Amino acid sequence: MKMKPLVWPKIALPWLMLISVVHLTAQSAAPSHAKIQLIAEQTTATAGKPLWIGLLFQLDPGWHVYWQNPGDSGEPPKVQWQLPQGFTAGSILWPQPIRLGTGTVVDYGYESQVLLMAPLTGSTGRATLPSNIAADVKYIVCREMCIPGRTHLTLTPPPNGDWSRWRALFDQTRQLLPKPMPPGWKVSAESDKSSFVLSVRGTSQIRSASFFPLEPDQIDNSSRQAFASNRAGFQLTLKKSDQLVKPISSLQGLIVVAPDRAYEIAAPVISR
Amino acid sequence: MTKRFLIPATVALTILFQLSPAWAAKVGDTAPEFTATDTNGNLHKLSDYKGKFVVLEWSNRGCPYTQKHYNSGNMQQLQRQWTERGVIWLTVISSAPGKQGYITGTDENAYVKQVNAAPTAVLLDPTGALGHLYDAKTTPDIFIINPQGTLIYSGAIDDTPTTDVADIGKAKNYVAAALDEATAGKQVTVSTSRPYGCSVKYAD
Repeated sequence: MKMKPLVWPKIALPWLMLISVVHLTAQSAAPSHAKIQLIAEQTTATAGKPLWIGLLFQLDPGWHVYWQNPGDSGEPPKVQWQLPQGFTAGSILWPQPIRLGTGTVVDYGYESQVLLMAPLTGSTGRATLPSNIAADVKYIVCREMCIPGRTHLTLTPPPNGDWSRWRALFDQTRQLLPKPMPPGWKVSAESDKSSFVLSVRGTSQIRSASFFPLEPDQIDNSSRQAFASNRAGFQLTLKKSDQLVKPISSLQGLIVVAPDRAYEIAAPVISR
Repeated sequence: MTKRFLIPATVALTILFQLSPAWAAKVGDTAPEFTATDTNGNLHKLSDYKGKFVVLEWSNRGCPYTQKHYNSGNMQQLQRQWTERGVIWLTVISSAPGKQGYITGTDENAYVKQVNAAPTAVLLDPTGALGHLYDAKTTPDIFIINPQGTLIYSGAIDDTPTTDVADIGKAKNYVAAALDEATAGKQVTVSTSRPYGCSVKYAD
C-alpha cells in the first residue's frame, strides 16, 4: 500500500504526458479565447425577489466581447434561455463598458472578465433555482481578429460548492451596472450641423466624463469627446455619425464618470 | 510600365489621405477621387469609371463576417450579377503588413480563383489610404458610386449583423436593393446603414 503512490506515477507519467500533449494540440487547433459559464447567484430566492443568473465570460488577455451597442464593429452576445415551466428570465443588465480601439474604428465592450446577469422569476413566491436551466449563447470574441462562437451551457456549480464565490461575482457586477441619473441632474443635447453638445447641469463634482451611446448611428464613435466644465455642470461635444440621416428627439446612453460609475441618461435634443 | 506609375500613385494617395479627415465620404456628396493598384499591378482611378456605377467592397478573408458572405456564395453572386450588367466592382483590402488579412497580389489572385469571386479587380491598400479616405470601418463595408460620381450608398451589405450563413436568406440585402433602385433611375431608399463586421486592420 505504501509503495503505490511512488510507483504509480512512474508508470503513469509517460501516459499522462502523452494525454496532455494530445489535449494541448486539440486545444490549440481551435482556441476560443473565451471561457463562458452559466452561473447563478443563489439557490433560493428571497421572498418576492427574483433569482439571478448570468453568463460569465472569462477572456484571454487582449480579447474582448461587446456591449449592447458594439460601436463600429462586432456584435453583442445573444442568449436564448431554456427554462423549466413557470420560470421567466428578464433582459440582461449590461455593466458599463469600456472604449476599445484607438484609431478610426472604436468599439464598446469588455476585456478580461464580464458577467452578463439577468433576473429569473418563478411562478411561486419563493423561487428555488431549478437545476435544469440551460442557455444557448452566440457571441463573437475579437482581439486583432474575430472568432465567432456558439455554445450550449448548463449551470456550473461554484467551485467546491462555495456559493459565496458566485455571489461575490454578482455583487461586484452590481457595482458596475449603470445607475439612474442623480436626481439633481438636468440633461439636454443641443444639435447643430455636425455635433451634439450634451449639457449636464446640477453638478460641480465631475472632472471628466465620456458618453456611450445606446443606439448606433447617432454619434461618431472614434471622434474625441471634448469635455468642458462650467459653473452649472459640464458639457460634452459629440460629433454626429455620418449614418445619422434623420433628426432624433432624444440622445440616450451612459455618462461614464469613473471606471465604476456610469449614469443612464436620455437627453432631449434641441435644434440650434 | 506599371512600375512607373506606382510612385506617383503612392504620392497621390498620401496627399489624399492627409486631407481625409475633412473629406470623409458622405452619401450625397461627390465620392472622393482615388488612384489605387490592383493585384495585377494595374492602376484604377475612380474618375476612369465616370459613366458607370462603382461598388467598393472592403474585405478580409480572415474575418468571419466576410466569410459568411463568401462561404455562402452571396458576395460572389452579387459580384457576378452586377458586373455582368456593367457595374465596376472593386474589392478593397486595407489590412496593413503584419495584420490579419494582409496579402500579396499573387496570393489574392489565387484566392479569388479558389472562391470563384468575380470582382472587376481587387485593390491592395496596405497603407490604408483608400480605407481612410472613405472611412471604411468594417469588413465588409460597402460604398456605391453612381455614374455622375456621387456616393449613393454607404454601409452594411444587409440588415442582419451576424456571422451566421443561415441568416442570409432572411436578410434584406441593402446593396442589391440600392443597385436595383439606382440602375432603374430611382432614388435609393436605404442610402446609409451601419456597416457590420470585423474592424478594418489598419496600420497602428
